[in-house]
Amino acid sequence: MTTATATKTWKRQDFASDQDVRWCPGCGDYVVLSAVHRTLAAIGRGPHENVFISGIGCSSRFPYYLGTYGFHSVHGRAPAIASGVKVCRPDLSVWIVTGDGDGLSIGANHLLHVLRRNIDVNVLLFNNRIYGLTKGQYSPASEQGKVTKTSPMGSIEQPINPLSFAIASQATFVARTYDADPKHVAAILQRAAQHKGVSFVEIYQNCKIFNDGTFNAVTNRDVRSDRIVFLEHGKPLTFGALGNKGITLNGVDPVVVEFEPGNPPADLLVHDETASVGLSFLLTRLAHPDFPEAMGVFRAVEKPVYEDELHAQIAKARENSKDTSLHALLRRGAETWTIKPPAAEGEAVRGEVESLGDALEEVGPEKDSYIADLDEDEGVPEGVARVLGTELSELTSDSDTVRVSADTPIGQVLEEMRAGDALATVLVCAEDDKIVGIVTERDLLHRIPDGVDLKTAPITIVMTPNPETLEPSDTVAHALNFAGARGYRRVLVVSEEGVTVLTVGDLLDFIRTSAP
Amino acid sequence: MATTATKPIEDIERVVIRFAGDSGDGMQLTGSQLTATSALMGNDIATFPDYPSEIRAPAGTLPGVSGFQVHIGRSDIRTPGDRPDVLVAMNPAALKVSLPDMEKGTTIIVNTDEFTAQKLKRAKWSSNPLEDDSLNKFRLVKVGLTSLTVGALDELEDLNKAGKERCRNFFALGMIYYLFDRPLEPTVKWLESKFKKKPLLAEANKKVLKAGYFYADTVELFTHVLRIPPATHMEPGEYRQISGNQALAFGLVAASMKAGVPLFYGSYPITPASDILHALANLKEYGVMTFQAEDEIAGSGAALGATYAGCIGVTGTSGPGICLKSEMMGLAVMTELPLIVINVQRGGPSTGLPTKTEQADLLQAMFSRNGESPLIVLAASTPTDCFDMAYEAVRLATKFMTPVVLLSDGYIANGAAPWRIPDESELAPIEIHHRTDEDGFEPYARDEHLARPWVQPGTPGLQHRVGGLEKAELTGDVNMQPENHELMVELRAKKVAGVAEDIPELDVLGDEEGELLVLGWGSTCGSIEMAVGQWNAGNDRKVSAAHLRYLNPFPKNLTDVMSRFKKVLVPELNMGQLALLIRGKFGTDVVELHKVQGRPFTIAELTDAFRANLEGGAS
Repeated sequence: MTTATATKTWKRQDFASDQDVRWCPGCGDYVVLSAVHRTLAAIGRGPHENVFISGIGCSSRFPYYLGTYGFHSVHGRAPAIASGVKVCRPDLSVWIVTGDGDGLSIGANHLLHVLRRNIDVNVLLFNNRIYGLTKGQYSPASEQGKVTKTSPMGSIEQPINPLSFAIASQATFVARTYDADPKHVAAILQRAAQHKGVSFVEIYQNCKIFNDGTFNAVTNRDVRSDRIVFLEHGKPLTFGALGNKGITLNGVDPVVVEFEPGNPPADLLVHDETASVGLSFLLTRLAHPDFPEAMGVFRAVEKPVYEDELHAQIAKARENSKDTSLHALLRRGAETWTIKPPAAEGEAVRGEVESLGDALEEVGPEKDSYIADLDEDEGVPEGVARVLGTELSELTSDSDTVRVSADTPIGQVLEEMRAGDALATVLVCAEDDKIVGIVTERDLLHRIPDGVDLKTAPITIVMTPNPETLEPSDTVAHALNFAGARGYRRVLVVSEEGVTVLTVGDLLDFIRTSAP
Repeated sequence: MATTATKPIEDIERVVIRFAGDSGDGMQLTGSQLTATSALMGNDIATFPDYPSEIRAPAGTLPGVSGFQVHIGRSDIRTPGDRPDVLVAMNPAALKVSLPDMEKGTTIIVNTDEFTAQKLKRAKWSSNPLEDDSLNKFRLVKVGLTSLTVGALDELEDLNKAGKERCRNFFALGMIYYLFDRPLEPTVKWLESKFKKKPLLAEANKKVLKAGYFYADTVELFTHVLRIPPATHMEPGEYRQISGNQALAFGLVAASMKAGVPLFYGSYPITPASDILHALANLKEYGVMTFQAEDEIAGSGAALGATYAGCIGVTGTSGPGICLKSEMMGLAVMTELPLIVINVQRGGPSTGLPTKTEQADLLQAMFSRNGESPLIVLAASTPTDCFDMAYEAVRLATKFMTPVVLLSDGYIANGAAPWRIPDESELAPIEIHHRTDEDGFEPYARDEHLARPWVQPGTPGLQHRVGGLEKAELTGDVNMQPENHELMVELRAKKVAGVAEDIPELDVLGDEEGELLVLGWGSTCGSIEMAVGQWNAGNDRKVSAAHLRYLNPFPKNLTDVMSRFKKVLVPELNMGQLALLIRGKFGTDVVELHKVQGRPFTIAELTDAFRANLEGGAS
């Protein structure tokens, strides 16, 4: 797609739509529309690679008259919608079309933030200093004293200067143009489109019906040369039909100076698009009648672009992440445990066991899955699966057991242990020889309540009742996992022949001697 | 205390434990640790964090009390429990706030060090309750938690006194671990990882946790060690603990992965929805784009822009934020784009009760837009259902090309429950087709579900314009013709109504017909189903329950289900919003049960209503 558009050349009419343009005759918007058609063709990206997003107002009808993708949204919100589009599709060329009402009144907050974030979109703000679509109320850009339907005695509000707003919002590209000079409009739009980062362009635009001639004092052909200073990067600020006027600084205040044509003074202010914000701001304050008004690029600086930074973070997170599977997502930030099917009733085994490191990390609901997972896991030495997969029936126990009945006093059990192996496992049996509980040396250390009479108190006080047991067909891996999850130091393996007690030591001994 | 000093282990079915203290006492954290440990032991759990909206109200005052209640059991646990069996009160204020919830014979563990004259006064006690007879009906366990904690940390010279005192919640936790036979390891492990960079704090808290455990053992505070065996009713599978907000975030990402379309979340921080933004901001490796917008409007605007760009665009907020999202929802209805709007409801109106739960935004979700503006409304019923419904929101929005509102609330958003982690194969397919075919393309042509094509900008030859002005059928051109407008209004309504064919029918818990049906929606599910279960276990006259997760459209069989019962009771944490919808839509009369106290229904409140309605019906 990229190659195709790079080689194809686009004509102005490729960017026009089949819709009838419905602005009032003589509206300045026609000039801008035509300049946009021309600029898009000159930039060379296809109509499908451009998205125009607008709010509400006369200028916001703009997308309907373009053959690009377009979104005519709700009042003031175009910057928010455009931010979502651009973040999702940084490859597209995204334009915001707004007006002084849409952008500076209801949508000023969104405008501020799209500028501040430096999202790589182009903002075209059509300034006609009036509400046109609602038929003639003053706008936030209307001058003080302006008489309109809602200000019959004159507006008492201070107007917003759109470029001062943009500079204060830290926009990285700020420019102004005017509808009476289509070539200047096209040139500025092209600069805006080329800028990497947010571009803000104020367009002085005449509203023929409700605010006709609002910029005439500045932009009329016969006064223009004395009342507009065209900004050119690296060149002194000069103007005047005779080229005999310029701007200098007196402290922090601008001053208009006159000089002999061809012989400008050395201290004329030289325009620098990358100058400090203060200087850029100062230029936005030049206003008729005390000063010429500036046209051109006020500011163009490079700063990190929001969507690039966001996608760089995403790329970095991906790079740093071992596992981005759905499986890993759903287990994120928590330990897991497994409820087995009813056959192994009531048993819950914690999933993550660190005793054998990564080899045992993946534990599925099926006992066999430890081994299956090991086989699949890369980096697990050959043979580990075989050793861990060995059935418990093949292991031998190195520890003694003591069988006692449930009514045996604790003291007697202690005696027996003292006489034999102190680390022996005590199995508490019912009359039918069924095991009803287990007692370990830890239980005898910790569980005997103070003041109890060891001669009479039954062993059942300290036993763990109904211990969970394993089967001879269970694997070493399962036994380790089971013991680890429960904090047990020994497991009971019950077969038809009887009970074998395997300590964790037995299990590790087996692994040590069988390891590859 | 018991003089025989035998401490047998006694198995119990379930227990409700509440930690209460200052907002700075770490009660949420303490409760979370008990919850996590119990979940790992295979218990069923339900939690209720109840914290003040002030970050740190003045210490020791009643408004500053932060509570965390957890219900642990071996059987089906659906609510955090009506009343605590054990209360841990870290100071006089915490005791005062919780005391009305305690029944005779329950256990109260108090930190006696905090019961000074000044602190009692601050908590508005006229006399010291530990010194008069007022607490005689409880099993009062007096412990100097602060002094014992500082004593246990004597050797840690590098930690100052205030730092030592701050560990006292872990002393209380250690005691609870002993009393309920919980292993210390999971919390020890958690402390080690949490304070990896501050080993001194890890060391201190571990010491204190163990000190609390051994203290409870040696000083014979309790006659029994109680054990809650692992739950047996739970479906086999691999489990984890999860909160509603976390589940919701996972559901969105899972849907994005399953669909193969990136997720964009545009949001503005607001309690209790912020955790979704936090969770998603941490999932960048899944390609998730999060955008912390300048306001609620921009959050939804950016999300709508993302859907226009072909991504899964989601915005999330709570009640006051939804007010600001109305216009973007309307624009999504008009442009027929699959915007997903999450509302984690809280007490209202206006700023209302930021940290308390309520389900009073149902009508707002249904109707808070200008014009005829139908969209899909879903409601999650439990913390874990937040996963399923978030996933379902993406599936339905993209299949029908319509915005979806997903309702959650503070109760299930912050509550935690064990979750059987679904296997990828259990997730419904989400097939997203971005149109690329130029032949016969019309932006507002419709498929068999009345959905219009979803075209990504950048697709050659399919350029078109969308917007908030009424569209002409097929071409999508701006059109104000009377007949066209009516046609489009009807088409948009019909499309949303058609979703009923694509969602599950309403299930009935209990008998399929009978005297009383309890019809609920959203987060009341756990309370209702547990209440119905308890009622039916002890009464001959049975009650059935049905729970709505789809509010617009309703499941097809809703009227059929309601018609099989003599009476329908609709309990809601609002003033009767579902009841109003049902009456308005079907003309079916229902009995309303309201609660608007910022708290969920208790089982007792529900069973009382069952009794009243069965008796009423019989008379």
